[in-house]
Amino acid sequence: MAQTFTIDPVTRLEGHGRITLKTNDAGEVSEAFFSVTQVRGFEKFCEGRPFYEMPALMARICGICPVSHLIASAKACEAIMSVNIPPTAAKLRRALNLAQTIQSHALSFFYLASPDLLLGMDADPADRNIFGVVKTHPELGRAGVGLRRFGQHMIELLGRKRIHPGWVVAGGVTEPLDAVKRDEILALVPEAYANATMALAAYKQIAGRFQDEVESFANFPSLFLGMVSEGGRLEFSDAKLRMIDAEGLVLVDNLDAAQFDQLIGEAVEPYSYMKFPYLKSLGYPRGTYRVGPLARLNIASHTGTPLADAELNEFKKLAKGPVLGSFHYHHARLIEILHGIEAIEQILSDSSILDKHVRATAGVNRQEGAGIAEAPRGTLMHHYKVDENGLMKWANLVIATGQNNNAMNKGVLQVAQRFVKGDKLTDGMMNRVEAVIRTFDPCLSCSTHAFGQMPLVCELLAPDGTILDELRRS
Amino acid sequence: MTRAAKAQPAGQPRRTLLLACGNTFRGDDGVGWCIGGAVEQQLHHAGLTVVLTRQLLPEHAEAVSATDIVIFVDCSAVAPAGTVSTIPIQPAESVSHALTHHLDPGSLLRLAHELYARTPAHAVAITVGGESFELTDRLSRTVKSAVPKALEAVRSALCGPPIPETTAQVC
Repeated sequence: MAQTFTIDPVTRLEGHGRITLKTNDAGEVSEAFFSVTQVRGFEKFCEGRPFYEMPALMARICGICPVSHLIASAKACEAIMSVNIPPTAAKLRRALNLAQTIQSHALSFFYLASPDLLLGMDADPADRNIFGVVKTHPELGRAGVGLRRFGQHMIELLGRKRIHPGWVVAGGVTEPLDAVKRDEILALVPEAYANATMALAAYKQIAGRFQDEVESFANFPSLFLGMVSEGGRLEFSDAKLRMIDAEGLVLVDNLDAAQFDQLIGEAVEPYSYMKFPYLKSLGYPRGTYRVGPLARLNIASHTGTPLADAELNEFKKLAKGPVLGSFHYHHARLIEILHGIEAIEQILSDSSILDKHVRATAGVNRQEGAGIAEAPRGTLMHHYKVDENGLMKWANLVIATGQNNNAMNKGVLQVAQRFVKGDKLTDGMMNRVEAVIRTFDPCLSCSTHAFGQMPLVCELLAPDGTILDELRRS
Repeated sequence: MTRAAKAQPAGQPRRTLLLACGNTFRGDDGVGWCIGGAVEQQLHHAGLTVVLTRQLLPEHAEAVSATDIVIFVDCSAVAPAGTVSTIPIQPAESVSHALTHHLDPGSLLRLAHELYARTPAHAVAITVGGESFELTDRLSRTVKSAVPKALEAVRSALCGPPIPETTAQVC
């Protein structure tokens, strides 16, 4: 008898979501939907505000990746101002964005994902959390806390606040870096290296235990999108877009922010407030793609930092072309942490980093502007239109998590077909269905501008829509 | 077994960490920051570090483990408005929820123990009962008038072992 399962809320995510699984008459999962049932509306309530307020306002979308919103928003404003920011300001923003990537990836890997990886997908849910990890693997617990603290402390040193720093503005940053702060950050780098390399070694030791998950966690051919600098180097702040296909063929290259909306369309589905971006030339849903750490490492030829380059070379040996299994997002995240530490050390060791000229000023010189940055979860796009006085008329935000939306749905279906059997949900089944979403580290409050809490519900539905089983987590 | 942080050598001031918590944009929830700021300005206590934070985080565990006394200062959403309470804190017996972004004081002590095998010799929470949590950066009159009493409680906590649980209604 056909049924529908619902997992609501999905736990250990940034935000809250709902999963519905439908089974056919043979009792096999035939459809899966990952729904985000909340909306906030930043795109709408910014209308009428001065454009230069946008970085500070838009950063409030998220408490985990506000820096990426700050940078993408500031770049959209700078397109409206038609200015190039001072080189030192660009370097400082790069360093800030990398610091955020490190702390966000550390949160994702150590706090949210490592309980599954270290304690097992079928471990007692009461223990399957960071405290369980700390008890059994205290050195990795300390490494995770240490990496998160490194990134957050650096954000606080540069931007005066760990969350929602007001330092990044249209035109650059509000104040230069001083030598005391630079030296304090550089003094923390050796410990950060030690933590990152320990985590990578530990991950590689345990990854082999998850062959089923590697094969079934959103493992399918898709397009990949991300930013790379000239020569194909991994870059998070100032570069252009590249898209490749599942064979590694470059479909789009050297695309700047202003062209983004010519390339990407946004579809909607009735079951979710999260949008479904896709490559216009292929249409929806064929043109859906993946972003984030896995995509970035697939599209980049190198990272530009020696330790991460060695890890990237090893990573690329996981497949003959692009690495398609989303389980490998975890691995990619750890490589990006290592790269971030190396890149921060490089940037802060540059003699020009203490330069005092860090802000350009201008008024409204164009009435439309777009900015792109790589957020921890993938490419982030802010696109604004203003009137002649610089008041916001329109905004469109294309968020990383949304760009992975279709892949997450396909991943949920793939995992459910592999692990959900019969007409009852078990905790192990449910956790794998959730865990495939966790590989993407979605930020649902970013993607929908969500407000408040939405618990995870998983429903099992019969073909006629009757709820046969339901599990809830708050 | 929990081990107290290694004591400072004789003659050295005891290391004290004051973690002032709250959201300054939600009315009385900002009283922790108000008290923390006043402690920094008015109580020049050797060995004292004041940290203003919106939430207690796992990242605070190392600092907590390396101190002799930890004082948590926060608003209470359940205590009567303006009530100042000093509450001894023990490490939580167990923490079963999926920790991500925030902790309660007992869980933070527990995490400090689990991660670094140390907890402070003394830990107290000094709370002020809140009246209004609306969107404002101002304290209610009732809570504002309780700040001197809370500062006295902090002063007591700084000077000696934690005070047994007391509750004092603001006059």
